[in-house]
Amino acid sequence: MSMRSQVYEWANLAPTGSTSALRRATDDVPVTLSINTEYDVFIGGIGNNITKPAETTATQFIVIEDIACTPILGGALQVRINTTDYFQNPDVTDMVGVPGLASPYPRGSASTSGGTDNLLKSFDLYPDIYVLPGQVFQILYSQRTAMTAADTEVVAAFCKYTLYDGPDALIANKLLELGVTINPNNVDWYKRTLIEQQQRSRVAAVASNGGSA
Amino acid sequence: MSMRSQIYEWDGSRGTAIAAAQAGSRHSIFIGGYGNNISKPAETTATQFVVVEDIAVTPSAFGSSLDTAAYRGYTTANGVAGPRAFIQVRINTTDYFLDPDNVGNDGIPGTSSPYPRSINWQPSFSLYPDVYVLPGQVWDALVTFYNSTLYASLQAFCKYTLYDGPDALIANKLLEMGISINPGNVDWYKRTLIQSQSAVAPTA
Repeated sequence: MSMRSQVYEWANLAPTGSTSALRRATDDVPVTLSINTEYDVFIGGIGNNITKPAETTATQFIVIEDIACTPILGGALQVRINTTDYFQNPDVTDMVGVPGLASPYPRGSASTSGGTDNLLKSFDLYPDIYVLPGQVFQILYSQRTAMTAADTEVVAAFCKYTLYDGPDALIANKLLELGVTINPNNVDWYKRTLIEQQQRSRVAAVASNGGSA
Repeated sequence: MSMRSQIYEWDGSRGTAIAAAQAGSRHSIFIGGYGNNISKPAETTATQFVVVEDIAVTPSAFGSSLDTAAYRGYTTANGVAGPRAFIQVRINTTDYFLDPDNVGNDGIPGTSSPYPRSINWQPSFSLYPDVYVLPGQVWDALVTFYNSTLYASLQAFCKYTLYDGPDALIANKLLEMGISINPGNVDWYKRTLIQSQSAVAPTA
């Protein structure tokens, strides 16, 4: 299985007395975040984290298909590839990224903590974001409204991506060179094309040998 | 009928009900010993091919640490309304969903793939590409929940298509050819076979 749909969910929940953990636990409580600070959802030291920066190996290719975060407190998500922020202002200056109001997580959640409205998404991550072999990527959560230590909201971020590994990562690279969108359908299409080419060349070889294999 | 759409719904409150003590650990929805179970592990025979097309579990909402009232039908603890549940797919001994550091994780959050769906609970996740269970493989769906105060309403759902007999052989052939396995493509392969046979017939 070399094309796999993957998700990553982050929340500012950690066991009492610590700010982050590699594994979720039943005694997790919300951790207070600072305003206007970017937190890496993978290794930012807040909430559930992973063991090392998110990166692709030489035989992996990642296509990020969706990002979303809780809309409360002016939450927003930025994607960073190596050292470059993906979302920019029209004047090419830094910005917070996609607001949770535009891409809410969970979908249908309220715009305020405990609210009764149901937000729908205004944003669709298309075209997708490609993480090429050997690149490091970060997803950065920030909020523009302060939370207090006494009343700490739980905020979360979500990322859906497809991991292409081994031969499928090579095909993904080839599609990128060809300018074809990388998705499971197109990777399958390229495989079929290779198989058909092989069959045609086999038939041609047989024909050139006077009909004998 | 050798292609059949199938579903499996697991309800943690049935049979031996799942309880707070089970929070934080993984439980199979098929043979985990809690909720409704089946008689043996889910596996494919040599003439079966399973394509898992959707999985979902009870969702959760995020709120404030001071919240104690129920929100959208779920009681709240530590700022989370709902069981804070996840569902992982395992093929033989391999977890399907991994973190970016290639370590197996808890799986799909119910918040991104809720069951049941409603206006309040809409999916952010769709299982595409599908998960293939090849002939002879054992597969499982494992639920983990972390909010120990809310387990009574824990439910999970799995939608899959079972290809049996000749259709399982065609599914294997499509897999070799790098074609997505779905009922439309299996039918397309059958039509191609019939067409190639009928094209040969007049010259025979």
